[in-house]
Amino acid sequence: MSGIISFANAVFKPLIDLGAAPMMLIVLTIIALVFRVKFSKALEGGIKLAIALTAISAVIGLLTTAFQDALNAFVKSTGIQLSVTDLGWAPLATITWGSPYTLFFLLIMVIVNVIMIVLNKTNTLDVDIFDIWHLAFVGLLAMFFGANLLIATILVIFIGVLKIINSDLMKPTFNDLLHAPASNPMTTTHMNYMMNPLIMVFDKIFDVIFPWLDKFDFDAADLNKKIGFWGSKFAIGVYLGIFIGLLSHQGVKEIFTLSFTAAFCLELFSLIGSWFIAAVEPLSQGITDFANRRLKGRTMNVGLDWPFIAGRAEIWAAANVLAPIMLLEALVLPGNKILPLGGIIAMGVTPALLVVTRGKIVRMIVIGALELPVFLWAGTLAAPMVTETAKKLGAFPKGLASGTMISHSTMEGPIEKFLAYLVGNASKGQITFVLYAALALAAYLLIFIWYARQMKKRNAVYAAAEAAK
Amino acid sequence: MFKILAACGAGVNSSHQIKDALETEMGNRGYDVQADAVMVKDITEDMMKNYDLFTPIAATDLGFTSDVPVVDAGPILYRMPAMAAPVYDAVEKVIKESGKG
Repeated sequence: MSGIISFANAVFKPLIDLGAAPMMLIVLTIIALVFRVKFSKALEGGIKLAIALTAISAVIGLLTTAFQDALNAFVKSTGIQLSVTDLGWAPLATITWGSPYTLFFLLIMVIVNVIMIVLNKTNTLDVDIFDIWHLAFVGLLAMFFGANLLIATILVIFIGVLKIINSDLMKPTFNDLLHAPASNPMTTTHMNYMMNPLIMVFDKIFDVIFPWLDKFDFDAADLNKKIGFWGSKFAIGVYLGIFIGLLSHQGVKEIFTLSFTAAFCLELFSLIGSWFIAAVEPLSQGITDFANRRLKGRTMNVGLDWPFIAGRAEIWAAANVLAPIMLLEALVLPGNKILPLGGIIAMGVTPALLVVTRGKIVRMIVIGALELPVFLWAGTLAAPMVTETAKKLGAFPKGLASGTMISHSTMEGPIEKFLAYLVGNASKGQITFVLYAALALAAYLLIFIWYARQMKKRNAVYAAAEAAK
Repeated sequence: MFKILAACGAGVNSSHQIKDALETEMGNRGYDVQADAVMVKDITEDMMKNYDLFTPIAATDLGFTSDVPVVDAGPILYRMPAMAAPVYDAVEKVIKESGKG
């Protein structure tokens, strides 16, 4: 055994010592070649990933440096201890893809998906390779809290299987929301929809206590049109710069600088995110081709990234209304350390609200406001891991205060992060955590089973309506 | 030049796949095409006027009506050439009708 470990160290240590960007260039290129991607395309993807990792690190450094003094003054003047900067999804995605374990979890989930299809346990082929990072993040978080690779992998498979089952459960609802025929193959295994069971609990309570609120539903598209550019990324950066600048008693010049810095960083995060997605593209196509070859042309649903329903105006109307609500909640929520910034337009929250409520906008907003604390707490929980990983990437400039941390306020899968925390700590053998982890996993599974039954009832109604046509 | 507007949730993943696929395929078919990728929520009437074609993933409610032709480009995301072909054909038809490209 020690010989194997010595051999592995001899092979991999020089690679790891190169740093995350060169290491991932080599690893991604090799993995893409394994999936029969042409060498030039594989290498192009690897280089793009290395560039994206380097770029995102540079922008994180810019943002945290620019805001450090203002945030310290903000804490002094307001007494509000929101020491975690919310960078939104792009930096976290890049950091997660900066780990070779993410590719390992990806390969495991490709195998799990193909096995489920072959055994007729699902009819969804997941081609949304990029978004494996949400699930990989949970695995990495479990390892950060103490799980070994085996335990983390089992947790990833457990959640991953439920995600794939969920894509089948949601399929008829997507057809309904898109006004699409049953032949439409679009569905998704996206992590944000794993909030569906909890949202459905709230929705059922809403049915009993507040059904009269539905009559106040408004035209979501009309609201979005009125908001216009005021809800754009750069505008949000400007607001936050002004907000922090004013409360930390900065001068006018400094407030302008903070606003414009936050604005351009938020724009750059998205731009760099697109490079990074392009980097993974050759591998995504290679894996899809591999799966299709093994499935011998069987017709099935296709698991995409969530935005095929982004054309539903309710998603954006709810996100726009929830943004100021989240800011207020963040200021008063006990245990929260995140000041919403990059994730304040809650794209990781509202798609699931749309699916469960089927577009009842007032319900989406009320339930969204009720569940946002879970996201803020989960973001706070993950902050030490995100910060430590970013430091390893060299994303943190020297001289930043030791308490400065980064995270994401509305990252998909908040409940799964708490599971990772419990499972990770349970792996250290603490009996209390073993008990909590077992109870939490059982509760998670039971509520999913209840949700699945509700969705099957819903789908039976859809099927009956289709048959009656 | 024929200008196409693609859109998705964050303006970086699905819409970029559509942008890259349309630019590559229409280029292969001999057309001069440029596509931009944006967030659905950032699309305004003024922005739409700068384009010859809108290619969302699926039916999209923008809160306004537009004369710009629309081709749903979702099948491009399935990563199966046979399923994407009808989308490319529909886009080519619009390009031919416009007299641009």
